[in-house]
Amino acid sequence: MNNDESSRGWLAERLLPGGTEPDPRFTLANERTFLAWIRTSLAFLAGGIALEAFALDLFNEDFRRGLAAFIIGVGLLIALGAGVRWLRVEHRMRQRKPLPLPLIVPLLGLGSALAAATILVVLALE
Amino acid sequence: MPDAPAPPPTPTYHGDPGLQPERTILSWGRTMLSITVVGAVFLRWLPHYGGWMVGLAVAAAVVALSIYVTQRVRYRRQAGGIREEALQADVVAIIGTTAAVAVLGVLGILAVLTTTP
Repeated sequence: MNNDESSRGWLAERLLPGGTEPDPRFTLANERTFLAWIRTSLAFLAGGIALEAFALDLFNEDFRRGLAAFIIGVGLLIALGAGVRWLRVEHRMRQRKPLPLPLIVPLLGLGSALAAATILVVLALE
Repeated sequence: MPDAPAPPPTPTYHGDPGLQPERTILSWGRTMLSITVVGAVFLRWLPHYGGWMVGLAVAAAVVALSIYVTQRVRYRRQAGGIREEALQADVVAIIGTTAAVAVLGVLGILAVLTTTP
């Protein structure tokens, strides 16, 4: 196990202080999980942009803009949450502590459900 | 941006039957493609929101390119980390990617809410 703290970068020292390096496999698994969340976030960004760009005649303009901003906002929060979650998991692994609960999971569920339900209701009313 | 597929990983022996470095590199590759796609979708806004959408697409392409050019180094680092049983978390890449996607999101929201098509 490499505990040579001096070889770590400034940012790593600052954001992940103390503890010992976890199993490299866990570090890589945490990295892949982060990337999966980032791709989820990117899908929301693309979805929001697409709603605003392709659904021009489908909805009332204010509604469309608001919903697009909401969907992009969910993507933005998921991206930030992915970064925070990666840090927290890495930190707990360094301290040999149990992993934290993923708060971005309910965010993902609620965000998608809300966006989908709103579109359904508006389409049904028109 | 003409994205070539991720470069074939340098055959560095790491002895991990779970092929963790390979899977992680592919995961970065998929993320790189997703960022490129989001950048390209921004171009669809070009007629409504004007020229700075090209800036967003270019910015996304630069982020994707920076992932592409660091893939080989990343694989070597990760394979070496598995071999040596000691791998330092890549804080810079993670924070950088988070920040880049967050900035794309903020600019996207600003474009939707502030520009009159």
